[in-house]
Amino acid sequence: MLAKSSVLGLFPEGEEDKAADALDALRDKGYTHSEYEIITGTPYPEGTFGEEEPKHTLFRWPLMGAACGFIVGLVLTSGTQLAYPLVTGGKPILSIPPMSIIMYEGTMLGAIIFTVIGVLVESRLPRFFMGAYDERITEGYIGVTVTSDRERALEAEEVLKEIGAEEVKRGWEDSDPPESTDDPEAPESAEDEQDA
Amino acid sequence: MASSAHAAPHEHEGPHVDPRVAEPPTSPAETTEALVGKFLRVGDNFWRAVAVFGVLTILGIIGVVVRLINGVGDTIIWGYYVAMFSFMITTASAAPMVAIAPRLANGHWRRPLSRAAELWSVVGLLSLLWFIPMLWILPPLSDGRRSLWFFDMSDPNAVPSYTPHIWASAAILGLVVTGLALLWVSSLPDFASIAQRAPQGSRQQRIAKWMARGWQGTSAQWFMVNRRLGILGALYFMMLIFVHFLISVDFLMTLVPGWIDSLYPITHAANALQAAAATMVLTAWVLRTFCGYERYIGIDQIWGLGKLMFALSLLWFWFWFSSFNVLWFGKKPSEQAVIELLTTGPYLFVFMAVFMLCFVIPLWTLVWNPVRKSLWGPPLLAVSVLLGTLLDRIRLYVGAYSVDGIGNPSVDKLHGLELDHLPKAVWPDIFDVFIVVGAIGATILVYMFATRIFPVINIWEQRELQLYDRGHESYHRGHVRIMGKSE
Amino acid sequence: MLEHVHLDQKTINKELLGGVLGTPRWWLPTVIFLLIVVFTGLGAFGYMMNKGLGVTGLNRPVLWGFFLVNFVFWIGISHAGIMISAILRLTQAEWRRPVTRAAEVMTVFSLMAALHTPLFHVGRPWRDFWVFPYDFARGVWPNVRSPFVWDPSAVMTYLIGSSLFVFIALLPDLAIIRDRAKNVWVKRLYAGLCLGWRGTPRQWKMQAIAGILLSALVLPVFVSVHSIVSWDFAVLIGVETWHSTIFAPYFIIGAIHSGVSAVAMLMALGVWMWKLDNYIRPDHFDAIARLLIVVATTWFFFFFIEWVFALYTLEGPEIGMRELQVFEWPYSGLFILFLLTAYFIPVPMWMFKSVRRSAFWMLITTILVNVGMWIERFIIIIPGLARRQPLTFDWGTYHPSLVEILIVAETFAFVALGMLLFSKMFPLIPLFDIKEGMTNRREFKIGRRTIPATVRE
Repeated sequence: MLAKSSVLGLFPEGEEDKAADALDALRDKGYTHSEYEIITGTPYPEGTFGEEEPKHTLFRWPLMGAACGFIVGLVLTSGTQLAYPLVTGGKPILSIPPMSIIMYEGTMLGAIIFTVIGVLVESRLPRFFMGAYDERITEGYIGVTVTSDRERALEAEEVLKEIGAEEVKRGWEDSDPPESTDDPEAPESAEDEQDA
Repeated sequence: MASSAHAAPHEHEGPHVDPRVAEPPTSPAETTEALVGKFLRVGDNFWRAVAVFGVLTILGIIGVVVRLINGVGDTIIWGYYVAMFSFMITTASAAPMVAIAPRLANGHWRRPLSRAAELWSVVGLLSLLWFIPMLWILPPLSDGRRSLWFFDMSDPNAVPSYTPHIWASAAILGLVVTGLALLWVSSLPDFASIAQRAPQGSRQQRIAKWMARGWQGTSAQWFMVNRRLGILGALYFMMLIFVHFLISVDFLMTLVPGWIDSLYPITHAANALQAAAATMVLTAWVLRTFCGYERYIGIDQIWGLGKLMFALSLLWFWFWFSSFNVLWFGKKPSEQAVIELLTTGPYLFVFMAVFMLCFVIPLWTLVWNPVRKSLWGPPLLAVSVLLGTLLDRIRLYVGAYSVDGIGNPSVDKLHGLELDHLPKAVWPDIFDVFIVVGAIGATILVYMFATRIFPVINIWEQRELQLYDRGHESYHRGHVRIMGKSE
Repeated sequence: MLEHVHLDQKTINKELLGGVLGTPRWWLPTVIFLLIVVFTGLGAFGYMMNKGLGVTGLNRPVLWGFFLVNFVFWIGISHAGIMISAILRLTQAEWRRPVTRAAEVMTVFSLMAALHTPLFHVGRPWRDFWVFPYDFARGVWPNVRSPFVWDPSAVMTYLIGSSLFVFIALLPDLAIIRDRAKNVWVKRLYAGLCLGWRGTPRQWKMQAIAGILLSALVLPVFVSVHSIVSWDFAVLIGVETWHSTIFAPYFIIGAIHSGVSAVAMLMALGVWMWKLDNYIRPDHFDAIARLLIVVATTWFFFFFIEWVFALYTLEGPEIGMRELQVFEWPYSGLFILFLLTAYFIPVPMWMFKSVRRSAFWMLITTILVNVGMWIERFIIIIPGLARRQPLTFDWGTYHPSLVEILIVAETFAFVALGMLLFSKMFPLIPLFDIKEGMTNRREFKIGRRTIPATVRE
């Protein structure tokens, strides 16, 4: 697989419209929504930047987990009691009320664990290639990033500059980023690469 | 709400609006005009429905009369009658909570439903009437059963033997009066609107004018209305809990020797909240589908109530299991006998139906948002819940009233720790069926007549909503809905 | 009306990460003090392991003492987190934002504290693993019909579930710390912990759904946990006051009462110790105090019904038991103290707006509630066992020994220490949630009046 390259255009807080324009421009240039992304430090209302609504299947996860947990609970409670049939308190070996309590806990545990895994998977986490990133994003800046192969990333860099990004940064997966033409910040951008 | 007067310039590229969302008129004058107009018109469907429920009511009257002729001495034939009383206070009397609770929590979605919910308190008058024979059916405490009232067999004059009768009557009367007061207070501003717009000298205008008590809408009056709604709402809730407590203990639990279940009074009330949500889902659906209120009652209301029903079906199970598990695990013979009488014995199939209808079916359907957020899902499941609640009340009350020796002081119920033998299941005869359908028919009939006096959609709360609902405004490339917070 | 200060993201970061990136002056001495208490308690535990349970005040017939009281108490406190964060998330109450994290974290630490005492209590804690179904070799399996097997399954589920919930809701804030940290190792640590969080719309959307979905999933678990704890007592028919069907909901509502009070207490401490008054406003206290009035009154209603039905049985031992609880020293004194502190002092005070809006008075009243609720558990558990029974050959009252007191003190110090250490590593107020609240906040005017508004959906 080709090494991924990414660029990031930064827009200060209050220039949400400009960031949205950048997405429009990228879309016009033929970038797909698997390539460009908007990055913010706070959740904005959906559709603020005219971005596509993320599709997900998170709601299936808890159901799968619940089914697994239920089965484990059922096997555990009935299996252990049948394997060690000791009558206590005059209750039948397979007593449904107590079994249902433990099966219930198993079901819920399965649902919760699967939901958490689902959230991570659907959030595309953990992410090992951080790409172009800027610390100011968690201070209110809005980032528009393009992650693609080297040629398209360089092309996107021009688009972002055209729209008027306050700053454009690069993050390359391989260790030798190409010389930047006019961006004095470029040498620092390698430092912003963070591996998770 | 896309066409709100406050909507932002990007109107043409507004958000995708679900056709099921209610779109009420956007100006106060239009709202009042439209709702008063709807109130004043009566369609043919109304009278057709009155005919149907009228016939059912007559059947019910026949059933009750036949029972009264048979006398009140034998409790076994009155099980279905008392069960229907309990069903009324479980559904109709609890329904106003759907208006009260979200009002106290400032939920805007309640607004189109709050009057429809409060209107159910009118049915309290019917349940009050229905309650009267029960004062004779329930034996006095001198028959020797356990009671809440510290009745002492060795000194029968220390506590009146009719204490449960007195307190229950007072409590039910209090509940009905509070409910009617709540309804009236919340309708004052609307009566003023009707009095202005109804044809001069018409019956409706005269009633509205009298009922409005000179409402003008001064800020002092609005302040009072809001205050009183809060206080009466809280009071109604407490009265409701109290009534369920007394009825479920004095008219149910004490009749079964050995039935000591401290949770049950609360379960009885919790079931009422579930049934109330179901009642209101059906009411909302009928108002939207058959009565032409689709501009006011939309998916938001049905969805909100659907979520509530989902949560309450879980609550149903939790309360039931909390009682059942403790009694089942303890293995005390007296408790086993009670479980057998009411759950696993003669009424096993009824109980299983209740379990499915009140818990399993609503839970596993409403867990899917597409079902919750649909116009057909919650109403269907409301039918399931109401049917389940009806069967539940029948199972418990008919079972309890069939215990031998109720009212017979020579049977020692206090010290007989358990039921000495299990009564057989009491299946309904034709008059019991008349009583069941009659109670349901009369309940609906009373409600329908009440809608001729009180407008079924709260007009002033709709107007108030317009102050807070700022509609959709554009936010960069997206649209957001802005909702103000009322105090 | 909600009055608020509007702050930009930079200021929010700076103010709320103050405790993480810097260290308040009181922090280290407090931690050292708590460490001493914790180690003293653990020392007492070591002594108890060496000498056996005889060093406690436990003896026939009172074999459940301070340890179990304390267990129920901490399980109760642990219900606050989910109560506050799940219910308020599901109902979209705006005032939840600054409170949720601290409440959830308290859940996790108080659950751990709750686990301490029963594990110590069993006498041979090195065999605690016997509750797990592990023994394939001999084919001896735990007895599923015992409440003491239900209990670990519920508590473990709750502990795992609430820890994961805290972790998921922490991700965006970890990224903020990663970006603010100066030290390269600290930066690497948080970069690892936040799993490479960036803040894309997809991630934010998942975060929002996870909040709701996990709330909805953890809520039924939270209900089951305390129900099951109550069944440890209620399914037993041998002890008066215990065998009552109302126990599960009664314990839950009691747990909510003490738990929400504990959250209010944390909020007051946040204002006092971390100077969070820009985020925790008087109207937050007002909202939680109103909630507390409702919760406390519901709890009192359950308490009342539980009593009514004890008398309703008309059974001699049960009524004799209630007489012991109310009329015989020392239970009588504790009973009065419990009623006053758990209900009759705080609730009338919360009726006054000036009390509801004061961090100081909320701190005092909520501490009172928790003193009362600790005593409540004591009154439920001990007298029932201490009462003279027909077939016990000795009876008498229970006196907690120093070892038990030290171990109970250890659990309190443990929770406080856990919270303090957590607050050193992670923010106790969710930054992104606060920022979202600020982004979504609107105002409009009706006449002369400014109406606060929020964005919906």
